[in-house]
Amino acid sequence: MAHLLADYPTEGIYDESVQADGKPRLASEQLFDYMSKLESKDFKELQKNANTTIAQFGISFTVYSDKGNIDRLWPFDVFPRAIDVKEWSQTSKGLTQRLRALNHFIEDVYNEQKIFKAGIMPLDVITSSKDYRPECVGMKLKHGSWACICGTDLVRGADGVMYVLEDNLRVPSGVSYMLENRAVMKQVMPEVFHDMNIMPVDQYPTNLLSMLRSLSPNDDPIPEVVVLTPGVYNSAYYEHAYLAHEMGAELVEGSDLVVLGDDCVYMRNIDGLKKVDVIYRRIDDAFMDPEVFREDSTLGVPGLMRAWKSGNVAIANAPGCGVADDKVVYAYVPDMIRFYLNEEPLVPNVPTYLCSNPKDRAYVLEHLAELVVKPANESGGYGLLIGPHASEEELETFKGLIQENPRNYIAQPTLNLSTVPTVCDDELDPRHVDLRPFILQGAKTYVTAGGLTRVALRKGSLVVNSSQGGGSKDTWIVKTERSEGEQHAL
Amino acid sequence: MLSKVAERLYWSARYIERVENTARLAKVFSQLMFDLPKAVKLNWYTLVQITSNEVFFDTHYEAKTEKNCMSMLLSDRDNSTSLLSSLWWARENMRTTRDILPREAWVHINELYLMVKENKEDFESRSKRNALLDKIIKGCQSWTGMMTSTMSQNNTYRFIMLGTAIERADMTSRILDVGGFFVSQETVVDDEYPSDSILWANLLKSVSAYFMYRQNVQTEITGQHVVDFLMKDKEFARSVRFCINFVSSVVSKLPNSSELKEELDALVLHIDQDTVYEVGSTALHDYLDELQMALSTVHNKFYEIWFNPKQLAA
Repeated sequence: MAHLLADYPTEGIYDESVQADGKPRLASEQLFDYMSKLESKDFKELQKNANTTIAQFGISFTVYSDKGNIDRLWPFDVFPRAIDVKEWSQTSKGLTQRLRALNHFIEDVYNEQKIFKAGIMPLDVITSSKDYRPECVGMKLKHGSWACICGTDLVRGADGVMYVLEDNLRVPSGVSYMLENRAVMKQVMPEVFHDMNIMPVDQYPTNLLSMLRSLSPNDDPIPEVVVLTPGVYNSAYYEHAYLAHEMGAELVEGSDLVVLGDDCVYMRNIDGLKKVDVIYRRIDDAFMDPEVFREDSTLGVPGLMRAWKSGNVAIANAPGCGVADDKVVYAYVPDMIRFYLNEEPLVPNVPTYLCSNPKDRAYVLEHLAELVVKPANESGGYGLLIGPHASEEELETFKGLIQENPRNYIAQPTLNLSTVPTVCDDELDPRHVDLRPFILQGAKTYVTAGGLTRVALRKGSLVVNSSQGGGSKDTWIVKTERSEGEQHAL
Repeated sequence: MLSKVAERLYWSARYIERVENTARLAKVFSQLMFDLPKAVKLNWYTLVQITSNEVFFDTHYEAKTEKNCMSMLLSDRDNSTSLLSSLWWARENMRTTRDILPREAWVHINELYLMVKENKEDFESRSKRNALLDKIIKGCQSWTGMMTSTMSQNNTYRFIMLGTAIERADMTSRILDVGGFFVSQETVVDDEYPSDSILWANLLKSVSAYFMYRQNVQTEITGQHVVDFLMKDKEFARSVRFCINFVSSVVSKLPNSSELKEELDALVLHIDQDTVYEVGSTALHDYLDELQMALSTVHNKFYEIWFNPKQLAA
């Protein structure tokens, strides 16, 4: 397939794999060498093998149904996205820096509130946030780890710069798909892994477990770690089971746990009750403890907050850490890095306009048709306005929404997301991607090598969410001789 | 281990064993079709009776044809005890206990389910049906083998073994019932081609017991001997007695199991009684029926002791 890139368009866009002159980028060179030896039919065969492997592994993000009729298999594109190790190590440092600052911030919010007193951020951003939990006031956590697991969404603009689009600090998901994507690729292209120096991702579950263990408030040398899932009906159940399996931790539902009069958490075992030290919870704050939050929640454990506040159990991510997930708070992260760490941010934010700020708001209302407007507290791409694609009517609606509740909206310029070659029928065609690396912070910090690349499978589309027609690719952090600088040294 | 997890493991194994034995049951019926003299009228509805599906069949099907009986037994997803439903339930229980099982255990059953679902039309034609049933039996056996050879012999494994053994004992007794049903409905006696031995030989083959029977019993194949062998043999892996002994030994390693002793002893007594049953008699059928009820009592005890988390919290 020598003509692999013959008609590949690169104009006006940043492509992750192909330079403007049509030649492969450094990290993708060896991949193209391998691919160019393939026939068009081999290419189709690769994609078919990948799909079969996904079905066999049972990799799904299924919406539960009585007869399993709408099992949706994980949509996957076989052409991987490659990033040079040198670039990644910078990004990776920036992500660690960012999470450290965010954790300082959350602890500050619930304790001294220095950042507000110093006038860096207005206090009402917090008091008006729906994820602010007064119940957490006064809590200090081991290692200062509130957001212990963070999934940060990165995008690359046409300028080639990698920006942070948002931080997911509540119950970030997707890491199991990053791991499964790699397992699928090893199955369908084993030769490439032999020939190329691709950084492994498999150690994530081990690091996750050791991070969780490092949070244990109790003396037991082997703390009891459990994964708390809302249950089999949850769309991320696959991931909950996957991670519990890989860590050898129990996968529990709220009804499997009980808090007794000693304010300790126990799980119901075949031979009685066993004390739990660390809970990796995958349910939202609001459903965690009907004694404190939503009374009607049947997913949670009555008394869980009592146990946590007494310091008898660690919860990851900690209750209340969603306060930093707010998109208004996001806008202040660079300032937080300067304030708490006295460092300059290594990975920039996407320029952001806060509608609560009168000057920004005036600009936003004026330029609505060029901007993306996002509600401060939604996830999964819901409630967005994409200015350039919006009708007159939608623009008017959003004008009203913003004026009614400015605190709830931010706006950003529409980014032309970077692309990666993607298998479309007989040829490679560019499709837009983002990237979600996962960052852990306990006694130590850790960043995944790469992350989950999500791809908008429809031509021209910028929507990468799997619930809305997006797919994914394996992400390779590649070390070449040249990226290590050895060739230049000669 | 969580009560809920123990219960799901137990059911995973029960369903896999049920899938295997349902396949065996369907196969023995098809085999008998080829072997028995034309004079013997094969009644497909027996399959429905053996599996206690009369009510479901009578409300969902009209004619008692081979096609209807087989589809009720094998591919009907509305029948919660059909082979395909059992396989779906096995997969579902394993999907929700994947955290505690080797990855291969899940992948294997997932593949088996997808294979059967894609090929379920093959159940409709006799030649293809047998080939598919063979594949299913092998698939279930590889799963059981995989568990035996890759798992620590811990409580996780013990609950899998309990599920397998209880279901196997139950299904062996149901398969024996097939013989009884046949003999009782046979009207034409043919001295030249005695259909009895063909029937019982096929039954033995259906539980892969033919060879072991030959080695151990070393007489001609008669109904009484087959019943004795499949009920009472202490060494054959699919005999009811073997399964019960196995349950006893597994149970003794699990917590709080002393309550079970009484039930299990009663079961052994029931199996050991020396009554000679006339093959095809109502007495034999009743004896097997009582056995199935006793097994269900043991099963209920498992619930009380290990699977019911509400009691444990008290």
